[in-house]
Amino acid sequence: MNHTLRRLALKGALLFALAPALAGNLSAQENTLRVSAIPDEAPTELQRKFAPLGKYLEKETGMKVVFTPVSDYAAVVESLATKKLDLAWLGGFTYVQAKIRTQGTTAGTAIPIVQREEDAKFTSKFITADPTIKSFADLKGRSFAFGSPSSTSGHLMPRYFLQQANLSPDRDFRNVAFSGAHDATVAFVAAGKADAGVLNASVWDKLVETKKVDTDKVRVFATTPPYFDYNWTVRGDLDPVIVKKLTDAFLKLDPKNPEHAEIMALQRASKFIPSKKENYDGIEQAAKAAGLLK
Amino acid sequence: MNAGLPLRDPAARGRATALIVALVVLWPLLVVAEFKPAALFDAQNLRVTGNFLAAFLPPEAGREFLGFLARATLETLAIATAGITLALLLAVPLALLTTRVLAVAEIGPGPGQGRAAILHHGLRVLLTVLRGIPELVWALLFVRVFGLGPAAGVLALGLTYGGMLAKVYAEILESGDTKPARAILEAGGGRLQAFLYGLLPGNAQELTSYTVYRWECAVRASVVMGFVGAGGLGQLMDQAMKMLNGGEASTILLAFLALVLAADAFSGLLRRQLAAAGLRHRHAGVGPAGGGVIAALAAVVLASFLFLDLGFAALLTRESAQLIGEFLGAFLTPDLTPVWLGKVAYGMLETLAISAIGTLLAVAAGFACALPASGRLGRYAGQSSRFVLNALRSVPELVWATLTALSVGLGPFAGVLALALHTTGVLGRLFAETLENAPPAPHDALRDAGARPLAVFLYGTLPEIAPQCAAYALYRWEMSIRMAAILGFVGAGGLGQLLYFELSLFHHAQAGTVIAAMLLLSLLADAASARLRRGMAAG
Repeated sequence: MNHTLRRLALKGALLFALAPALAGNLSAQENTLRVSAIPDEAPTELQRKFAPLGKYLEKETGMKVVFTPVSDYAAVVESLATKKLDLAWLGGFTYVQAKIRTQGTTAGTAIPIVQREEDAKFTSKFITADPTIKSFADLKGRSFAFGSPSSTSGHLMPRYFLQQANLSPDRDFRNVAFSGAHDATVAFVAAGKADAGVLNASVWDKLVETKKVDTDKVRVFATTPPYFDYNWTVRGDLDPVIVKKLTDAFLKLDPKNPEHAEIMALQRASKFIPSKKENYDGIEQAAKAAGLLK
Repeated sequence: MNAGLPLRDPAARGRATALIVALVVLWPLLVVAEFKPAALFDAQNLRVTGNFLAAFLPPEAGREFLGFLARATLETLAIATAGITLALLLAVPLALLTTRVLAVAEIGPGPGQGRAAILHHGLRVLLTVLRGIPELVWALLFVRVFGLGPAAGVLALGLTYGGMLAKVYAEILESGDTKPARAILEAGGGRLQAFLYGLLPGNAQELTSYTVYRWECAVRASVVMGFVGAGGLGQLMDQAMKMLNGGEASTILLAFLALVLAADAFSGLLRRQLAAAGLRHRHAGVGPAGGGVIAALAAVVLASFLFLDLGFAALLTRESAQLIGEFLGAFLTPDLTPVWLGKVAYGMLETLAISAIGTLLAVAAGFACALPASGRLGRYAGQSSRFVLNALRSVPELVWATLTALSVGLGPFAGVLALALHTTGVLGRLFAETLENAPPAPHDALRDAGARPLAVFLYGTLPEIAPQCAAYALYRWEMSIRMAAILGFVGAGGLGQLLYFELSLFHHAQAGTVIAAMLLLSLLADAASARLRRGMAAG
């Protein structure tokens, strides 16, 4: 008798416990735009940057905008493919990965809609706190920090340009570390955890402007040639009407409008321009050459 | 007659030879693990670590941050609780299906025996795979599938701990009195009846006690899983460590220590209560107090699931099930080209070296701490060294690794130190207990005969405690192998570093090979330690 009671009690409790969890997402809100961004900076910083843009997009599309911060680049790509996201801010390389990952799936091939004008001629900065490092050649036998392995400006393109200069990180550096994010790379180099590192020019400029980095100690010793980077990408099977609204909303942003100016300052954009997938063919080739894309 | 002769150590030559042989065997491992203690005292490294540790004070106490911290702590607890609940749901049926006690086929030949044997075997393999792949790897895979947040952690815990609980449940059921269950089965009763009336009454207390202990482990594990983005305190810690934000890191560490010690104490209390209750009344049933406990547990579990808002429903649609299937399927065609296999083999060797050297260091340091901790060097020394041991063992290896990577740079040596620090805490406590329980007679006899203190220890105490200590060390080495496989996630060498890199780049075939290698290492460690322990028990 007691056993039966106990069993019933346990079963009931479990069902009870699971029911809300199971029901939670069934009400998959039709009118919600789910947005995320690759975590190339600290997730709290990304959230802060997105807040006014989210409000603006809410107004322009009439949809509820939900931003979910992530701590893993690949999770953003995977979420586009599994239809858990509608709009995502991707790097050039993550866009290529997303394109390859979603080709021929029910989610439809991911589409880049807009990018900042700055993204069409993006660069990376090589930094060090060590006075003896003055050029690529001085990096031999030293420890080096990239950002995330999936980062375009923090890993792929710097690696590609290092290879062009006949330096192989795996062979020539004493130790290769992945800090995970651009601001973390600066922290690594400033603290001496790595002898040198590389990060995207835009984040470097921001850290210098806001005095988050001591430029007497950490300095730039090389800059890459320009390449295409970041864009805003939508899921391939998103309703074209919504895609059009989103594209227009971005293109309409005008720095002369004070409300827009705040959004654009946080996004570090002077202007948004239309993007297309061909912009990223160069990145795809570089990724293949660097052995990061098989 | 040589006057010095009686004082010569008769075992010295044998022991010295053994030491030299051990060093020769260890040398290649030291090389692979990049064992360079000098790095610890390198001026630059000392400065980096010093600056970071200096930033620990004062701990961050801003209101916004404390809010984050409180939420993350709750999330960690909820992940552990929901994860264990899921593990239970998985483990109970699996244990019932795999335990020999309830196997009708064991009674004698009958129809369908071959099929039953295949099912049995298949399920045991499944259990091995579930617990052989570290929860951190499951979490990393699930973070991809669910995207974001604690659902990945809950599922990862559920799978690994489900496999572990099922195995141990089956063993507990087999080790107790199996006659009542057998009698029910032979009298024609069903398996469920045999379990409920033949096995559960005798084993309920041990089963519950082990489950509570596992919950305590799950709290620690859920912190670690945060490092791959599965929510909770670990995620916060990962960010603070990456940004080298010492103030935040120290606050998180303090919260974490408090949480682990509280879980430790709570689980200890619960288990003692269970043992006491088991002694008081041996009859079946839960009684009114038990009913209250069950209701409270149900409320806690419910609250955990509600708090986490897991959204498993997304799993239930056919489309997402297919997507997940495709994703996991990509790992089933591992890259077996010689170049890649060579790289993975080196990763395995590095992982083995990290675990072996780390455990050996821990044995030495654990021993050094155990002597005072056992109370042999006075009460004050005893208390302070016990405190040190507790602190060492409360911080998981992965968290230590983020710190050691600062003091000696990234690479396998950071992994060695991280393993050594945590394992010293565990082994030191176990060694101290062994020392306390060692029979005093040989020690006293030698002392009274006038032997010097060192000789008294070497010949009166050491032989008494050596087998037990060696068994503990082997057991910890087995755990360390599994741990060393994932330390690479924070840059401390071994297979983990390979896996993190390949997964980031969507090289699923290559990642599949690394996961298979981790599974292989775990199986080897399992088999080797079981064999060594049997050998020692026999010897």
